[in-house]
Amino acid sequence: MLGKMERSEQVLKVGLIGNPNSGKSTVFNQLTGLRQKTGNFPGVTVEVKEGRFTLPKGQAVALIDFPGAYSLYPTSTDEKVLVEVLANTSDPNFPDLLVFVADVTHLEKHLLLFTQVLDLNIPTILALNMSDVAEAEGIKVNPTRLSAQLQAPVVFISGRTGENLPQLIQAIEQLAESRDPWKSSFYKMNNDELRISEAVCQNFACTNPYRALLLAHHKDWLRFLSPAEHATLDTIVKTKQFQSLLQQVDETMVRYDQFTPIVRDTVQQPSVFPVTATDRIDAILTHRIFGPFLFLGVMLLVFMVIFYGYEITGGWVESTMAWLIEGTETLLQPVSAGWVVDFITKGVLEGFKGVLVFVPQIALLSLLIALLEEVGYLARAVFMFDKMMRRFGMNGRSIVALISGGACAVPAIKGTRTIGNWKERLITILVTPFISCSARIPVYMVLIPVALPNANWWVWAQVFGAMYLLGVLAALGSGWILNKVMKSREATFLALEMPVYRAPHWKNVWLTVVDKVANFVSGVWKPILLITSALWFLSSFGPGDVAGKAEQSAAEDIEAGIAADSVRGDLEASYRLEYSWAGKLGKTIEPVIRPLGYDWKIGIGILSSFLAREVFNSTMYIIYSLESVGAAEEEAAGDQSPFERYSSLKDKMAMDTHRDSREKIYTPATGLSLLVFYALAMQCMSTLVVVKNETGRWRWAVLQFVFMGSLAYVLSWITYMLVNLIA
Amino acid sequence: MQRRHRTLPELKASESAQAISFTDPSLACKLTAMGVLPGAIIEMVRKSPFGDAFYIKVDGIRLALRSEEAQTILLTD
Repeated sequence: MLGKMERSEQVLKVGLIGNPNSGKSTVFNQLTGLRQKTGNFPGVTVEVKEGRFTLPKGQAVALIDFPGAYSLYPTSTDEKVLVEVLANTSDPNFPDLLVFVADVTHLEKHLLLFTQVLDLNIPTILALNMSDVAEAEGIKVNPTRLSAQLQAPVVFISGRTGENLPQLIQAIEQLAESRDPWKSSFYKMNNDELRISEAVCQNFACTNPYRALLLAHHKDWLRFLSPAEHATLDTIVKTKQFQSLLQQVDETMVRYDQFTPIVRDTVQQPSVFPVTATDRIDAILTHRIFGPFLFLGVMLLVFMVIFYGYEITGGWVESTMAWLIEGTETLLQPVSAGWVVDFITKGVLEGFKGVLVFVPQIALLSLLIALLEEVGYLARAVFMFDKMMRRFGMNGRSIVALISGGACAVPAIKGTRTIGNWKERLITILVTPFISCSARIPVYMVLIPVALPNANWWVWAQVFGAMYLLGVLAALGSGWILNKVMKSREATFLALEMPVYRAPHWKNVWLTVVDKVANFVSGVWKPILLITSALWFLSSFGPGDVAGKAEQSAAEDIEAGIAADSVRGDLEASYRLEYSWAGKLGKTIEPVIRPLGYDWKIGIGILSSFLAREVFNSTMYIIYSLESVGAAEEEAAGDQSPFERYSSLKDKMAMDTHRDSREKIYTPATGLSLLVFYALAMQCMSTLVVVKNETGRWRWAVLQFVFMGSLAYVLSWITYMLVNLIA
Repeated sequence: MQRRHRTLPELKASESAQAISFTDPSLACKLTAMGVLPGAIIEMVRKSPFGDAFYIKVDGIRLALRSEEAQTILLTD
């Protein structure tokens, strides 16, 4: 995006960079507050935030928060973005100046990237963060000496307390106004590097010798290079026999040799690192035996909060929507045609509800995940589960997504942004919807007793549990297969820093939640509205005079004594659906789903489930001429034990027979096959839209839809055949 | 005759040793950038629940490494 936030010529572009865990995002949030937007760097799914603030004399600043990086020799897509921008002076995000945030308690390792950036000749301020912690740990820094030796302004700050931020802002202003050309170079290139750098400079508009060297190092993946430029660099590297990797290690070591004495000279720190609270907490939280159990406990808690959050907020959303629909009807009915009212209430407002229902869940999940991330716990989870999840093509962080998928796949998939490796993240996104989410529960509640009418409560509960197990197995199994099939050039690393445990910074948490919710809503409302409108059209209109035909059929049934006059309205609704395009479609796909034991009514149910899986129930209520009791039974469900719910629907379904053979539709074989289908098929438009948004392409959403659908079809068919064989 | 150096995974829990060098240049680049340098004292804090990953401490920095990554770090005896 970045383009989305209009940036005029006069805006000063300030890049915020630093290592992961340097407290960079806290500084960003402190400086910009709510005046920030999240987007992606063009072409890659790396998140970037841009915020605004104004310098004391009125200069507007666009602060660009780059992904955390350890050096300009990147190993992940995230880190590459930084090089992509800094190596290309004509990049729209190329900063006028940089603020480098370094954790003063471990200054040495931060200076690697800092000195690399210095050599790119971009004016840079070194912001020594966590000054409050440093003080507590007895670390003393001499800023004047440090500044003199590094040839760059140095400011002490504490992102968490906001201490000295005005000084940082002042330093930015001073540096921006400074007329002196910025000149600093730190690293002396060796002869090999010099030769390469000079050769590159002869062929490219050379802005800086170190930048020229970076072009040679990274020619294979820098996307701003044209094929011709790439070829030129290839020739240079080949003829000069440039050993890129070895030179990178060499350069890193030489830099360390150069700045280690500076750190020793300017920073006083205790000679031994004491055993801290973090060590003591980790002795329990990452314990070889207790650690995983504690983690599962924490995740169970997360799952329960979202699950019950859904039960509660789902009710709010329902009542808000009912109120809205009623209000719209009373307002519009006198002034507009029936179909307009119908479209607004069942098409537009249904879409609105489809978005609204996820908002509390996304807010809750991102709140909890942000908290776990803020305190530093997620890194431990990655450490503990890395090995296990890697067998299935994922990584330690995927386990968070899979467990939250038990509540709802939408926030779970949004949460995968913390997974650095693209392939592992993609696999996680693709398999998470297999986990049975809360929307499947009402469907299971209807189908399980219908499938096994003679079984008792205990068997039903076991089948219910088996549905969850099936989802987990499908997710892990597909992960395993995808891992074998998908090729990835990106090396996967664990090499992960485990930050010191600390209390969450509430401003960070709050801004994350706001950002996630805003991002979700802006990303999904258009496609969801489109789909609900389309589904409304399909179920409201059909060939010919649908309403007239429905009225006639209902009248015939009542005359023939098949139905009582009291249910005329329900009967007409049922026929209207049957004669609509959706009904036609259900009948058209009947031959396809007949091998699974389904009839056209189930076909309509499956089609309408695309709104959200629980819509299966309300559709069935209409089809079975129970529209008027449906709402009451769904409302009463909350007070009933799970398998007592929806009783009149279950009775009607259990009695129904196939048109052709006159055999019962809901045999154990059909029921179980339909359960398998609902456990495995991708039937949720919101998830598909989020998958498209998160992967950047419809391609993956379509692939997921086809893959999950085929698997569901095949396994449902096998279930149907097997149960028929046994029964 | 070349003597074989110990590698990081051979350390027992809470044992420390000095790193000498790395066997894989691309990982060396990553590890040095994260603060694991030749000459640094590495403490093996503990192994992961399912094995195959290590929790180490270097100069007060806590890191998690996979065994493939840890194997590239050679230690003094």
